[in-house]
Amino acid sequence: MLSDISLGKYYKADSILHRTDPRIKALLYVVYLVVIFLISSPVSLGALAGVILIQIIMAKVRPSVVWKTVKPVLPLSIFILILNILTIRQGNLLFRWQFISITDYGISRAVLMAIRLMFLILSTSLMLTLTTTPLKIADALESLFSPLKIFKIPVHEMAMMMSIALRFIPTLIEETDKIMKAQVSRGADYDTGTFVNRVKGYLTVLIPLFISSFRRAEELSVAMDARCYKGGEGRTKLNPLRIKGTDVLVVLFLTACAAGLVVMDLTLR
Amino acid sequence: MEKISVQDVTFSYGSEGADVSAPAEPAVENLSLEIEKGSYTAILGANGSGKSTLAKLIDVIEVPDSGRIVVFGKDTSDDSVFWQIRENSACVFQNPDNQIVGTIVEEDVAFGPENLGIKLPELRERVDQAMKDAGIYELRLREAASLSGGQKQKLAIAGALAMRPEILILDEATAMLDPRSRDEFIAVCEDMRIKKGLTLITITHDMSEAMRCDRVIVMSKGSKAAEGTPAGIFADISLEQYGLRRPVIIKFAYEIARLAGVTLTEEDLTSETRLRERLTNILTSPELPDKAIPEETTEEKTENRRKIMSVKDLFSSYDGGRSFAIKNINLDVYEGEILGIVGESGCGKTTLISHMNSILKPSSGEIEVYPEEGVTLRCSQKKDVQRIRQTVGLVFQYPEYQLFEETVYKDVCYGLRKMKLTADEQKDRAVKAAKAVGLEKDVLRKNPFELSGGQKRRAAMAGVLAMNPKILVLDEPASGLDPVGREEMFSLIRSLREQGTTIVIVSHNMDEAAAYCDRIICIKNGEAVTAETPDKLFSDKEKTYKFGIDQPKITKFTGMLKQDILKILPGCVFERTRFDPEEEARAVYRAVLKAGHKDVK
Repeated sequence: MLSDISLGKYYKADSILHRTDPRIKALLYVVYLVVIFLISSPVSLGALAGVILIQIIMAKVRPSVVWKTVKPVLPLSIFILILNILTIRQGNLLFRWQFISITDYGISRAVLMAIRLMFLILSTSLMLTLTTTPLKIADALESLFSPLKIFKIPVHEMAMMMSIALRFIPTLIEETDKIMKAQVSRGADYDTGTFVNRVKGYLTVLIPLFISSFRRAEELSVAMDARCYKGGEGRTKLNPLRIKGTDVLVVLFLTACAAGLVVMDLTLR
Repeated sequence: MEKISVQDVTFSYGSEGADVSAPAEPAVENLSLEIEKGSYTAILGANGSGKSTLAKLIDVIEVPDSGRIVVFGKDTSDDSVFWQIRENSACVFQNPDNQIVGTIVEEDVAFGPENLGIKLPELRERVDQAMKDAGIYELRLREAASLSGGQKQKLAIAGALAMRPEILILDEATAMLDPRSRDEFIAVCEDMRIKKGLTLITITHDMSEAMRCDRVIVMSKGSKAAEGTPAGIFADISLEQYGLRRPVIIKFAYEIARLAGVTLTEEDLTSETRLRERLTNILTSPELPDKAIPEETTEEKTENRRKIMSVKDLFSSYDGGRSFAIKNINLDVYEGEILGIVGESGCGKTTLISHMNSILKPSSGEIEVYPEEGVTLRCSQKKDVQRIRQTVGLVFQYPEYQLFEETVYKDVCYGLRKMKLTADEQKDRAVKAAKAVGLEKDVLRKNPFELSGGQKRRAAMAGVLAMNPKILVLDEPASGLDPVGREEMFSLIRSLREQGTTIVIVSHNMDEAAAYCDRIICIKNGEAVTAETPDKLFSDKEKTYKFGIDQPKITKFTGMLKQDILKILPGCVFERTRFDPEEEARAVYRAVLKAGHKDVK
């Protein structure tokens, strides 16, 4: 069931976007975030959809994966659509029944909001989660925020913590599964009973999970010590982030598209 | 000659902490020893004897409270050479999961050299070389979490080798591996020792591993109890007082020697081949004393026992039927037997036992449980599931990691509360269960975290036993325990059987499975390939190998010995294979005597 959702997951492929420096993707992501919320005319929104389509091709992501990314957000999107239609009262009245009134402006705003949400999800996935491993995202953040080191903010340590946390997610999921099975075999039942009882049931899973996480943390810290970890100072990297020629092309192309979209939208207003 | 020299070292944990009022028992006390550069040393000792602490002291993860440790001429208390010593020695620990830092294999291998500040392209070259040496180069872009246990441990070795150390310390690094991964892992380490001149120190509970070393140091209560060559150490029976046991082959040899009235020398024990030659000589000698050795009674047959569980055409899938973790399993469990389930890691053993307890639902097929005559519970009937779970108690691997209540008593009662028993009944059953696993009554009041490893495991088992299961299913019940702990665990299992519980054990230790089980089911790639008595399953080497498992060590050794004897005494007819080394020794002795007399006539 959970495997049917692609939202937030890495998609393994060898594409231009996959190979692009994660720092560039992070910055481009911010650029497109602004563009998505800046433009509003139907034509420029259509053009934006075209640009996103190009990004999908650049990322070599299969249409079915794109659909799995969007699918879980659809209910929220429809909810926003209906809520906006029902609550916006400005504009020309089209329909009225009891306390419900629908206006043309309401519909266009609602559609705009729903479309923006979809675009937002798509561009987050394409620029970051689908095409960039969590570790690379952590690397990018470490590099982008490294100027903050002069304010004594432990940027390296935070990135290290983030990547270790990501590394241990599968291990902890496996462990949770084991603990739950052991308790089910002793008669535990997590799905029935009152809400309070169910919460209590999960507590009996969380306690051993926490204790074992502490044990793991302790063993891991000894193992890191033994491998001479002494913080970020003087560390080298096996795969350092480096801006390549294609990265520059990607930046030029996608920023040009973004600028074009904004100019188009301003002239059409 | 350069060496690691430990001089009168005492160390206790928490001594630098705030709790000065209650100084902890020293983990290592007045310890002195020397390890030569380039040597291969095993450190043996019961749990809590200070072995791991010694490893941490040599790798400067801890610094002694008193005394001195000098590693290749550098004193570990000297801050200026601190990093040099640590860079020069690498450790591999027991739990593969808890030493992987990187998400991707090659990133994890690079972690050590990155810390050392090694620059590209040397960094890349080191990482690639280390992955090739450890045999994981093809896995370099895989996610570390997706590797098997054996592969993860090889990854840990690669991570250690990439630092180009001179000392490699294995801290029970093979304890969680199955026999094949264990052999591969040791082969990598020994190969690297020879190629790179590493000083290899292995901390282990596996006596057969210790046999391969040049030197053995025995630790007891934080100090050195004995030291010598493996042959010398295992020749001395007094090592049992330190919680160690002789390797099965040595036990076998000493029983033969005792019967024949000869003494084995240290020389005889230096290699398996030499020992086999010596035993062949003893056994085929015309002066072999003629002794009447009574035959051990054969165990009762399972055929006339009542069936207590039946697995029928069981298929199980984790992905909705695209692939099957286990396929077409048919097996019967008889009341009062000990049934072993063996097979390679990942063959579906754990999946199978999860079905026995109805935690998993089969894709197709049925499991029937017959708690008493005339009652049939089916896993497909929803109303029966809760009763199946009570009838079939399931203890997973490392159950002590799953204790969660603040007292042992409460934890033992968890299942009983779920059964909605009265407080009196709960108490009655909890006390009984604690007694059955050999825990004192006052342990029930303790916090689980005050207990020793073996006690914790017993406490966790008591929680399952309290539900009065007719069948107890145990997944690797002895893993991670020291030799004495293992012995105690198996005698506990036997006593539970005597009290009327039917036992199903999953194990990858073939010597133990063969010695303790009445019947063994072998699973390969999710299919049950055979179900036989241990002597039928293991006596044929080729057949055993075909099933994806190894022969027990004792059987491997005696198999070759028997062949050697047959060359000299072709008329010798051996009895069925036994798996208790001493019993097997007596059986071989009897057979040789019989054959010998025939030749004389």
